[in-house]
Amino acid sequence: MNMNNGIPLAQASALYRPDADIGSPPVLADPQALLNAFHPDYLGSSVTKLAVGANAGDSCQRELAGLLQAEAIIDEADLAGAPVTDIDVLVIGGGGAGCAAALAAAERGARVLLVTKLRLGDSNTVMAEGGIQVAIEPDDSIQRHIEDTLRGGHDIGNPELVAAMAEDGPDVIRWLIRAGMQFEQTASGDLHTRRAGGMNAARIVHCRDYTGLEMMRVLRESVIQHRAIEVWEQSPAVELLSNEDGRKCVGAVFKSLIDGRFRMVRTHSVILATGGVGRLHLNGFPTSNHLGATGDGLVLAYRIGACLRDLDSFQYHPTGLVYPPHLSGKLVTEGVRAAGAWMLNAAGQRFVDELLPRDIVSAAILRECQEGRCVRVDDGRVGVWLDTPRLERSQPGLLERQFPKLLARFRVSGVDPRHDPLLIHPTLHYQNGGVVIDVNGATTVPGLYAVGEVAGGIHGRNRIMGNALLEIISFGRRAGVAATAQRDRGPKKVTLEHVNRARRDLTLAGIPLTQAAPQILPDYAAKGIWNR
Amino acid sequence: MESLNTILLHPDRRIGADMERWRKAGGGQALARAAVDPAAVREAIREADLRGLGGSGFPVWRKWDAVAAESPKPDKYLVVNGNEDEPGTYKDRLLLEETPHQVIEGALVAALATGANRVVFYVNPDLALSLAALKTAIELWQASELLDLASTALGRPLELTLLPGSGHYIGGEETAAMEWIEGRFPFPRGKPPYPAQVGVHGCPTLINNVETLAQVSHIVAHGAEWFRSLGKAPGTGTKLYSLSGDVLYPAVYELPMGTTLRELIFVHGGGLLSGKPLKAVFTGGPSCTLLAPVDLDVALDFDSLRARGGSLGTGAMIVISEGTGIVKRVAEYMRFFAHSSCGQCMSCKTGTATMSLLLDRIDTGRGTAADLATLENLCAMLPGTGRCHLITGVVQLLDSSFRHFKHEYRQALR
Repeated sequence: MNMNNGIPLAQASALYRPDADIGSPPVLADPQALLNAFHPDYLGSSVTKLAVGANAGDSCQRELAGLLQAEAIIDEADLAGAPVTDIDVLVIGGGGAGCAAALAAAERGARVLLVTKLRLGDSNTVMAEGGIQVAIEPDDSIQRHIEDTLRGGHDIGNPELVAAMAEDGPDVIRWLIRAGMQFEQTASGDLHTRRAGGMNAARIVHCRDYTGLEMMRVLRESVIQHRAIEVWEQSPAVELLSNEDGRKCVGAVFKSLIDGRFRMVRTHSVILATGGVGRLHLNGFPTSNHLGATGDGLVLAYRIGACLRDLDSFQYHPTGLVYPPHLSGKLVTEGVRAAGAWMLNAAGQRFVDELLPRDIVSAAILRECQEGRCVRVDDGRVGVWLDTPRLERSQPGLLERQFPKLLARFRVSGVDPRHDPLLIHPTLHYQNGGVVIDVNGATTVPGLYAVGEVAGGIHGRNRIMGNALLEIISFGRRAGVAATAQRDRGPKKVTLEHVNRARRDLTLAGIPLTQAAPQILPDYAAKGIWNR
Repeated sequence: MESLNTILLHPDRRIGADMERWRKAGGGQALARAAVDPAAVREAIREADLRGLGGSGFPVWRKWDAVAAESPKPDKYLVVNGNEDEPGTYKDRLLLEETPHQVIEGALVAALATGANRVVFYVNPDLALSLAALKTAIELWQASELLDLASTALGRPLELTLLPGSGHYIGGEETAAMEWIEGRFPFPRGKPPYPAQVGVHGCPTLINNVETLAQVSHIVAHGAEWFRSLGKAPGTGTKLYSLSGDVLYPAVYELPMGTTLRELIFVHGGGLLSGKPLKAVFTGGPSCTLLAPVDLDVALDFDSLRARGGSLGTGAMIVISEGTGIVKRVAEYMRFFAHSSCGQCMSCKTGTATMSLLLDRIDTGRGTAADLATLENLCAMLPGTGRCHLITGVVQLLDSSFRHFKHEYRQALR
C-alpha cells in the first residue's frame, strides 16, 4: 500500500464537496475477476503450500505457514518445577467466545479455569461495532440467514455449522438479554434491526455502534461473579500438553507476563478461544485487531495435530482508517455504509456498490489505490473517501444518534466526520478459516475444542457482518456444554510428545527449526514485556 | 549397513502368518533337525552363548538343562513370555505380528530339547495385532504335519495354547505368569523353588522370552559358530534394540549384539531431533538405568553394560535430549511403577508410592531438601526387599539418575 501515487491529502480535501452531484456506481460485471486481480488472498505471491502436519499440501498464507511450521518455544526442561493445576475445563482466551464457553461449562457444574493472554475482555469482541446477525424479523427466516451466510462465504462454508449457528440465533439474543445486555429498540419496544452488506433482510440487532463492547461488559461481569470460574490474566498459552502418544490434548502450559514463570494446567477438556491473526500484519496490511491477535491458537492446535482449513483466506475490512495516523487500521463500522454512506475515490466518484460483500468492496478499494485514483497521506499511505458528511446532510443527527463511538474516537484528533470525509483503506480484520470443528466445537484432536475466530468452516472464504458475534456465543456455549460431558478421571500422564512429533516431521521435511512459534505478542509490543 | 535386520527381522521373514511362504523360505528345517537329535540342540545353544533377551541376560542353556534333567510330573510346560509391557519396549509385538512362525518353531525346538509337552503362548492382551497373527499361525500349525513330526519325536502329543495375559505389568515376571496360567491373579511367587523344578501346576516349567525363542531355530539351522560370529565379542548373535525418544527415526533395529550406543543413535536412529546434544538414555527393562553421554561408545551387550553398573534390559533405548527434565521423566517412571506394583510386598507397595509422591512433589516445585534426603535413604533401604525384582529395579533407576543428575534434583527444590 506504500505507493507514491494518488492525490496528496491536502489537495484532495480541498477538492471534496459534500454537496457535489454524484451518480450511481458502475455495475460490477465480474466480481471474481476483480477478486483475482486485487484481493490479497488471490495473489499467488501471498500463498504457499504447507509441507508437514495434518494439512500438508494445502495452501496457506505465506507468513502464517512460517509460524505453523515452526519450533516450539518451550522444552520439557522449562517445565521442571512448574506448578500443576487440575481443573475440569480449561478455557484459553478471555474474549467473548471464551467467556461464553466458561459460563456454559460452569452452569453445568464444572470447575472452570479461564486463562487469558492480556486481561479479561481484552479481545476483538469489544471492537465489534456493527451488531449481531439474527433472523427475528417477520419477513426473515433462519433459512434465509443460512443461505446468506453460505453465499457470502462463496459456498464453501460447512452447512451443518452454519445451520447450527443460525438456529441458535434467537436463543443467543435471549440469553444475552437475560444476562443484562442492552439492545437498540424501536419505539414500540421491538429490537431494532439493520440490513448490512450481503444479506437479504434486515437482520442486525445492535447496541448503537458499540455492540461488542456492551456484550463483553455483561459477559465479563458474569464470569467474574461466577464462583466456579477462576480467571488467570496476563498468562499467554505457550504450548498445549498431550498424553503419552501425543494424540490427545490433556492441558496447556502458560507463561505469566507478570513473574515470567511457567504454570501447567491438567484437564480433560481444553477449549481454544484465542481469536485471530490480525497482529501478524499478513501481507503488510494494517489491522483492526487488538494487540494479542497473533494466531497462537492456530499454531498450538496445528502442532498437536488438529486439522485446519481455509488458511489462505482472510477478511480485509473495507473501511479501516488511514488518517489520522494514530488510528491507522482502526475500524469504521460497516453500519455506516449500511446506514447509507457512500465511498468516493479521489476524483469524487463512486466506484462500487458499497453494500456488496466485504471482500469485493475491499478489492475495489485496492483497485482504486493501485490505479492511482486515491488520496495519499504524507507518509505514503493511501486511501479513498468514506463520505460521512453527505450521510449527515441527508439524515441530520444520525451519526450522533447511532454512531457515538465513531464521533468520540475523532473528538480529540481534529477530524469531525460530520464535516470531513474519512480516509479509509482495507484493513486486516478477520481470519475466515481456522481449526476444523464439528457442531459441538470439537476439533479433530480428542480433548481439544475450538470456538470463535480461531475455528473455521462457518464463514467460508468471506464472513458477512454480524455473524462473528453470533458465532462466538453460539459455539462458545455449545463447546462449553460438550466439554463438561467428558467425565473420565483425567490424564494419567502429561507430555510434550506432540512437540517431538512435530520436530521429527519438520526435520524430515527439511525445514530448519530457526523460527519459534507461537508469537504471543507482535514484535513492536514484545520488547520489555515478554523478555522480562 | 549390511549388519541391519539380518536374521529375525530379515525382510524375507516378515510375512505375517502365511505358513506356505514361510516354509518356502526355509522355515521348519530347524525343527526337523531338532526332531532327529534334541540333545544336540542344547549343546548348540550352550556353545552359542544365547542369553535371556527379555531383560535378564541369564544364560539360556542353564535353564534348559535344569528343565531337561527333571522328569515330567505328569507334564512339562514351556511358557513363551510375550507379556511385553516395559516402557519403550516394542520388539516382541513386532516379532509376533510379523514373524509368528519363527517364534512358534523356536518354541517347539525348545520343547523338544527340554521334553516339554505343553507350550503356552502368554501374550500381553493389549497387543491386538500380535494376538491375531499368533492365533492364525497356531491354528495353521495345529493342522500341519510339522506338529505331528515334533509330537512323534517327543513321544507324546504336543499341545499349543494361546493365553492372553492379565494386562498387568507385573504379569511379565516369570512366576507371576505361572500364577496367571493357573488361573489366579499374577502375584509373583517366592523363589526357590525355581520354575524349572516347580512351575505351572507344580510341573517343571521352562519360561523364555519371545525374542530368545525366535533366535533358537536359527542357531539350530546354522550352528553355534555362525551365531557367535554375528555378534561383536563378547556379545553373540543379534539383538533387537527398540529405539525411541528424541531421535529422528524411532524404530526396532536388529543389530549385532554389542553395537555401540553411538552407532545405534547416530547411524541408525538418524541422530537427535533438532540437532540437540544427547543428555541421557533410559535403558528399558525390569531394572532400567540411565546412560549418560560418556557411555556413547560402550558396547550394548549384557556383560559390557553390567561392568559399567548399567543394564541392557530388554534392549529398549529411550533417548533424551538436552532440554528435557530428568526429574520429570523419573517421576513419570515412578508413577508407572507405583501403579504397576502388585502390592503383595509391603516394601514395594509403599516404597514405590512414597517415592512417586516425593518425586512428584520435587518435580512440581514443592519439594524440600528433606524430601530428597528421604529418597536417598529409600534407595539404600529398599533393594532386595521384595519377592520379585521390581523394587530393586526401581531403585536402580532412581539411583542412576542421582548418580548423573543430582544437580537437577537440587535445582528443582523449593
